Amino acid sequence: MRKGTRLRLVLRDLGSGFAFASMAVSGQLPIWSLVLYGVALVIALAGRRPFANRVKLTALLLLAVALTLGTNVLAGSLNLVVAACAFAGLISAQRLLSTPDAATDGQVHLSGLLMVAGGAALSGELIYGLFLILFGVLASIALALGVVESAVPEGEPVPVRAVMGPLAMGVGFAVVGAVAFFVLFPRLNWNMIGPSASPGLGVATAGFSNTVRLGGAGTIKGNPRIVLRATLTPDPEKEALDAYWVGRTYDVFDGMEWSNARATSDGSEFMTTLRPGQKNLVHQHVELMPAYGARTLVALETPSRLGNAVANTQMGSRRTQIHELGGGEVRFRDSGISYSYEAYSLPPGASGDDVQDLPPEEQDALLSLPEGLDIRVGQTAARVLNGERDPLAAARKLSAWLQREYSYTLELSGDVPDPVADFLFQRKQGHCEHFATALTLMLRTQGMRARLATGFFGGERVTGGYVVRAGDAHAWTHVLVPGRGFITVDATPPAHRASQSPRLLEQLINFYEVVESQWRDVVLDYNFRDQLTVVRSLTRSHEIPKKNEPPSRAPPPRAFGAALLAAAAAYTAWRLLTQFLSRERPLEATRFADAVEAQLASARITRVDGETLEALDARLARERHPLSPALTPVARRYLEARFGGRPLQQGEATRLLTDLRRAVLTESQRVASEGTRPPQARAS
Amino acid sequence: MKPRLPSWWARVRSRLRPPRTLKVTRIGRTYLVVTFGVGLGALNTGNNLLYLLLGLLLSMVVVSGVLSERCLRYLSVRRVGADAAFAQEPFAFRWAISRGQGHAFALTLSEADSPLTGAGGVGYLPTGVDHVVRADLTAPQRGPVRLTGVRVTTTWPLGLFAKTRTFPLESTLLIYPRRTYACQDPGAPEQGPVGDAGNPRRNDGNGDLSGLRELAPGEDARRIHWMKSASAGKLLRVEREHEERRTFVLTVANGLDAEALERRCEEVAALARRLIEEGHEVGLDTPEERIRPAAGTAQERRLLRALAWLGHERPRGDEEAA
Repeated sequence: MRKGTRLRLVLRDLGSGFAFASMAVSGQLPIWSLVLYGVALVIALAGRRPFANRVKLTALLLLAVALTLGTNVLAGSLNLVVAACAFAGLISAQRLLSTPDAATDGQVHLSGLLMVAGGAALSGELIYGLFLILFGVLASIALALGVVESAVPEGEPVPVRAVMGPLAMGVGFAVVGAVAFFVLFPRLNWNMIGPSASPGLGVATAGFSNTVRLGGAGTIKGNPRIVLRATLTPDPEKEALDAYWVGRTYDVFDGMEWSNARATSDGSEFMTTLRPGQKNLVHQHVELMPAYGARTLVALETPSRLGNAVANTQMGSRRTQIHELGGGEVRFRDSGISYSYEAYSLPPGASGDDVQDLPPEEQDALLSLPEGLDIRVGQTAARVLNGERDPLAAARKLSAWLQREYSYTLELSGDVPDPVADFLFQRKQGHCEHFATALTLMLRTQGMRARLATGFFGGERVTGGYVVRAGDAHAWTHVLVPGRGFITVDATPPAHRASQSPRLLEQLINFYEVVESQWRDVVLDYNFRDQLTVVRSLTRSHEIPKKNEPPSRAPPPRAFGAALLAAAAAYTAWRLLTQFLSRERPLEATRFADAVEAQLASARITRVDGETLEALDARLARERHPLSPALTPVARRYLEARFGGRPLQQGEATRLLTDLRRAVLTESQRVASEGTRPPQARAS
Repeated sequence: MKPRLPSWWARVRSRLRPPRTLKVTRIGRTYLVVTFGVGLGALNTGNNLLYLLLGLLLSMVVVSGVLSERCLRYLSVRRVGADAAFAQEPFAFRWAISRGQGHAFALTLSEADSPLTGAGGVGYLPTGVDHVVRADLTAPQRGPVRLTGVRVTTTWPLGLFAKTRTFPLESTLLIYPRRTYACQDPGAPEQGPVGDAGNPRRNDGNGDLSGLRELAPGEDARRIHWMKSASAGKLLRVEREHEERRTFVLTVANGLDAEALERRCEEVAALARRLIEEGHEVGLDTPEERIRPAAGTAQERRLLRALAWLGHERPRGDEEAA
């Protein structure tokens, strides 16, 4: 293998790998296809080509895989686009392991192109853009090296370094051109298939279940993945929102886990009202990211109305209904990879609920205590409160005591028989669920209504909106204050309410989020309206007219520039079109000769091997064939058009062929009439 | 009457529309099909990533055109030629190519509009270097081949399109008859004072004595070594390092048809080569010219040239590229 060839093959294989990765980031490809392609790529990068002598066998295997994928698609267990992408990956893998010749190289690059296109259909991830660029660069270098290598005589080295400079310039121009095309090409959309959504990498982590069980192990607090993205109106314009995003509440505790007294579901609707609307509601446009992994709607405390939900699935985006469950939980009716919806919340403060508004079973549940609750819980609460009977003041007093006397930890003791007593009297450390449960139960032992709420605490400002991480998952207490409704009291130490993930990791995630937000705004959500904005910014002046000076009615210079460019483009298109229409058609004469031959064949006149049209014409003339007079001008005109530099004029071929057809018909009728004429004489 | 365009406009037009031919390669065709598919997908789904990919694919097409055009500019080509070109067998042919400014990549050179097949390539051509490109060309038949220009093609940068520029260079390449094995009898050698070896005594051969053998019937008695013959009791003749140099005049008869003439030319060329290698003098008698017998490679080249021109009209000057 000559110098440079090895590098070219490595670049080719890596380019193919990045093309496959652009599909794989969607998380939708079957695991076995990921494994097969990964193994093939590693073997290819090691320089081994085990399929070099097994082309037919591996092609048969590919056929079998195609049949399997097709069967799965027909059975509905696999999406057609996903199946096509997986098959493209396998074709590429088979080519990677075959003999590296020019045809194989081309097939690897083209399958890479298909994979990148498949990745665009499957994924909207930011990292897709990175893989697209890497594929473009590596495949371009590999192609260019292949082109140069094919021109270098055998035995001479491939000039790798000399290639890089001009090629880098070319790729740079291509990227600029791609951006210009992307920005300016009109967004004409037939909308036959909707955009798909990608589940993203990794497992969704922030789930809502019907119960909250104390104990076990907690790792979610260290997870920096973003689960929620929201835009608020009015915008609080704070860097750290530090707000409670409630998902649901729990009112029954059995000593181990929280549940709800009422779990019935009402009918589904597109907009549900939890509390009557008031003025100054905070509007939220919320996106639940694929990492969220649940169907429970989340809103700023205290939610008033929720609805206008859209579920994004692999098959497209569609409007979905929502329904209310017990504990104030609202769920999407349809499952999806991600969701977006709108929510309206009351301004910070009380919820305004009255105990009489609650269903009877929930009223009772707000004071219920688990059987066998350690008697020390009530005694401790009474001692701390020291006669305080106002629910809100009592809750704040108990909360402050808990924050002062107990410490926060994510290292749990596992399942114990009485987790509340274990937290309060044994370990004296726990996480947010322990603090919230302890506060809620201590209030109830003193006859004050309270419940547990779960959701998220936090909100970091990113590009005009707020994001919430999986590590922001939190639990807190709602204490019912007569005349004001439920008020949030959080017993967890403030420093441990939000995400506990490493700061550096959070900063990295924040940076990624900023870039991804830009990617979504500038690339994924770029539309016709944005194009109009771009065009307006090019054509309209941004200068503020001076006072006492009438505004100029003349267009700005950039408008002239844009008009000049448009005129140049139109002129170029017109020139290209005229050139195309007036181009010489060297094969037209040949096609004409083919048509002549077809007509002659219908008259049962065929050319012998190697006989040209003019030779045939000469032969027919010698034989005094009746078709000869019609054929002679046709043959002469063919020769002039083919070799004499006089191409056939518009419609001339049709006219000549019509004359010839007429002569052929006449001859056929003559032959037929001779065949049916009765014999004039008989042999005796 | 058509108004004459100003010269600057003609220059602009010639710069914008250089005389090039463009051909889509096999991988380029598939690339265009995939681009079309991506375009359909983008229009169908409105997926911005597909629009981005489509923009990249179309930009690569434009960049291919620009970079290949840059490769073909500022080039100068001249023919170096071939030492000897025989019909139906590859012969080495050379061009010299240089570039005034910038670099060029992946250039393939071939003869335009000629029956010669084959091409030579240069992977990288830096500025100001006179690079000699060698190619193994093949000519289908004997005779003069009119060369009208050198075609320079590049598939740089991605191999999607092959762009060609033709440099007009008029010349003629003479193709000698096909080299075959000479199994025919050259006929009787010339007798008497013919050719360069007009002295019959020189038929004794030359060089040192290499051996003696019995005189065969009909052999020249002047080559008998009398003293050794006397001692041996039989007639022995002298054999020298260079045996006798005979003179042959090969003929190509008049009135042969095209196929027979080709076959005869090939026979005569093969015979001439064999006889000259054996040290004989060979002449040629054709309907068009007569070449006096002589020996050596120069004579062989003269004979081949005469055979190559046989049946073709000679130019006034002896213009040959080879």
